[in-house]
Amino acid sequence: MTLDLEAIRADFPILSRVLPSGKPLVYLDNAATTQKPRQVIKAISDYYEQNNSNVHRAVHTLAGEATAAYENGRITIADWFSINPDQLFFTSGTTEAINLAAHAWGKANLQKDDVILLTEMEHHSDLVPWQMLAEERGVELRFVPLSDDNKSLDMAALESTIDEVQLVCCIHTSNVLGVRNPIERIIELAKTRGDGGNGAAVLLDCAQAVSHDRLGFDTMGADFVAVSAHKMCGPTGVGALLVAEERIEEMTHFMGGGDMIRETWLERSDYQDAPHRFEAGTPKIAAAIGWAAAIDWLSQFDMEEISEHILGLARHTASEIGKLPGITVYGDHGEGLGSGAVSFLHDSIHAEDLAHFLDAGGFAVRTGHHCAQPLMRKLGVTATNRASFYLYNTREEADAFISHLQAVIERLG
Amino acid sequence: MSYGEGNWPEPLQSVIEEFADVFDDMERYEMLYEFASECDLLSEEFWCEETRVHGCQSEAHIVCSLNDAGTFRMVGSADAQIVQGLMAIAQKAVNGLPPAEVADFPVTFTRELGLMNSLSPNRANGFLNMFTRVRQEARKLAEG
Repeated sequence: MTLDLEAIRADFPILSRVLPSGKPLVYLDNAATTQKPRQVIKAISDYYEQNNSNVHRAVHTLAGEATAAYENGRITIADWFSINPDQLFFTSGTTEAINLAAHAWGKANLQKDDVILLTEMEHHSDLVPWQMLAEERGVELRFVPLSDDNKSLDMAALESTIDEVQLVCCIHTSNVLGVRNPIERIIELAKTRGDGGNGAAVLLDCAQAVSHDRLGFDTMGADFVAVSAHKMCGPTGVGALLVAEERIEEMTHFMGGGDMIRETWLERSDYQDAPHRFEAGTPKIAAAIGWAAAIDWLSQFDMEEISEHILGLARHTASEIGKLPGITVYGDHGEGLGSGAVSFLHDSIHAEDLAHFLDAGGFAVRTGHHCAQPLMRKLGVTATNRASFYLYNTREEADAFISHLQAVIERLG
Repeated sequence: MSYGEGNWPEPLQSVIEEFADVFDDMERYEMLYEFASECDLLSEEFWCEETRVHGCQSEAHIVCSLNDAGTFRMVGSADAQIVQGLMAIAQKAVNGLPPAEVADFPVTFTRELGLMNSLSPNRANGFLNMFTRVRQEARKLAEG
């Protein structure tokens, strides 16, 4: 069965927008955030119109409905990721999820001179929390470099240091290079050789991966997986940290406040069990409900087919724009690799200038360092342009983008 | 002299008239791109933290001074041509004026160029930051 793109696009009202420039929108900034189908928008507005109430402690009807919708949302999301709902802690997104892991697990379990192994292609969200922990605790940070062609990780370098590592933090799929890292091998090495053979913990930043991969936590073997709803048709402002059962007991509470306590006295508190122990304050009720609606919507598709469609568009685009004069395409977009993200740069047209000319044609692409400045330095650039595709993008849009880019280069290059 | 809508220094008025005939955003950006070559340049060797304009996504640097006649002169450059084109237009607006007039020069001229609608918030903010800096430096120069 092939994807019915016309039917898919009909579910996204924003995709029929005409921009102030008079051009129809061609949205190619999906690695930054995906658009939302009307089913998600309706779920959120229905909640606010019919059920809005705070959750968990009240006996009135609305509170019961809101609590049921919110906790049922957790079950839907947990099912999607093949994890027990009690092991899914809602956060504001991937960044907060990684910060939660750093504070609640890292501070409680990593000592001075322990080693965290990161990679040169990490997003800032998987760098800065560990830098802060390293500064506070004297933990050492090490980095897996890129391979010589700057397209993948140098796995030999990873193997040469893995024995001394207590925690491995790795981006599953790069938001810049579009490459999918060999996470199965990384996890295997961490578990068999990490921490002198005792096994290192593994955290995966899966912000990009959730767009096109059906991640199964139960078979991945990672200890922590950080995800965001808005990269998979869900709303902004919600994400989760998925945690292996045996790691939950090693975690201490992070943020204190309402909803995470069992009982509180003036001087002390007893805390709830997971997941609520790690979710202080009024939760992201509407966003969680919207995320569950996004998963319900995505469930009608075969994710492998979606992945094939997205990667196919990226591969075609990377191949074609790579032939244009002055364009360098970063990353690897070969068969079976990568994501929908294609980063590129022209050798004489500044990335920001190019982005304005693309926007003038109706093409929304991202421009900048993509929150990966160390990776930018490694690539020898300060910024790139990035077109990123999703399930609703069409071959015609990709071709129109390629043609427009070619026309801009011919006018300015 | 007080400037405002319909009453701009002649070099800026010419630019406004050129932009009035622009067909679409592509052409508007193309004109900005071309204006970059008319910028009174600050050589890259003088770029430093003190010259940098914050708020621009790209590197943008300006230096303001008085020329021999005591009128205002801003030189600048940027790695993105559209930013440098904006600088060139800002120069047409204020260079050669007494610094006290530059200090009060209204930024509303950008509306008459149709630029604020077609520039991203980052770029627009960057431009406003640049122009605010120009006016502040002019104020200092006017007060000696």
